[in-house]
Amino acid sequence: MAELMVLEAEIREQKGSKAAARLRHPKVGKLPAIVYGHGQEPMCISLNARAFLEAIHHGQRIFEVRLPSGRQTVLVKDLQYDHFGKQAIHTDLMRVDLSERVTVSVPLELRGTAKGTQDGGIVDQLMDHLEVECAVTEIPEVIEVSIKDLGLGDMIHAKDVALPAGVVLKTNPESLICLCNLPKVKEAEEAAPAAAEGPQEPEVITERKPTEEETSAE
Amino acid sequence: MALMPKRVKYRKHQRGTLKGVATRKNYVAFGEYGLQALSAHWITGRQIEAGRVAATHYLHREGKVYIRIFPDHSYSAKPLETRMGKGKAEVAGWVARVKPGTVMFEIGGVEESVAKEALLRVAHKMPIRCRFVTRRHSLG
Repeated sequence: MAELMVLEAEIREQKGSKAAARLRHPKVGKLPAIVYGHGQEPMCISLNARAFLEAIHHGQRIFEVRLPSGRQTVLVKDLQYDHFGKQAIHTDLMRVDLSERVTVSVPLELRGTAKGTQDGGIVDQLMDHLEVECAVTEIPEVIEVSIKDLGLGDMIHAKDVALPAGVVLKTNPESLICLCNLPKVKEAEEAAPAAAEGPQEPEVITERKPTEEETSAE
Repeated sequence: MALMPKRVKYRKHQRGTLKGVATRKNYVAFGEYGLQALSAHWITGRQIEAGRVAATHYLHREGKVYIRIFPDHSYSAKPLETRMGKGKAEVAGWVARVKPGTVMFEIGGVEESVAKEALLRVAHKMPIRCRFVTRRHSLG
């Protein structure tokens, strides 16, 4: 394995959303983070956002964080983005030992064109991540799933995915990853006119219904 | 017919405000590509239906269109040339309240270029500026 990337970090004294927002300001250029795991106290830190995100975009998942108290090897567990999904706002870092095995979520990538699409079917992907257990140094960046032989009505389950050596599946093996089906166009076309004939106003649950006496008086 | 709820607890709602940003429905969850709102607005049932028709018409029978918003909020309007007062007016329509960042429509099962064109047509039916987004597979 290549040498770990070293990130300079500082302990965050001030907590809360406003303090975090100040750190994220472009002039400051920091990314709030938390380091936890291995039975030790969690630590709120801030990292150089640019260096961290560049490494993440290049597929790096393990870092060495240099703190005033010493160096720690960490695994990126989560990265939160803002409401537009553009700017990273926070990251979770888990303390790890390079010799230990961890359970991580690895993205799935469908490869090839399904055989069933030639017969008018569409591929529906129901899962895009797999939970796997592997050595910290051998976390796959992506798990490729070949859908070349996926015919109409066929399915691929988690147990069918070929995993790299040393990687153990932790997701339920019966979980459905993708399937190839015909689109349900006819049903939608039939449902549309039925809806047009329906009531123009919704039913009001709390509306007072006329009693039997009132109806008989009329 | 435009979208509206089947059953409601109360027919008329207060108008309310659209403050803040989308803290849910702000990522592509079902399809591969999505249309994200860039500002806050009421989206009427008719506009949602127009968007759905525009997308399905462009896609022919390919792919799958997901609608992530639903008009569950009623608004009332007084008829023309009516004096003010005399109580709250009748329900004029139903809207979905959309905040910045909401993924309103999603498309799956087609190529990116096709989905982009289809969602562009949907965006033309929307009363707000929108952005084409793709599903985020990895952390980066």
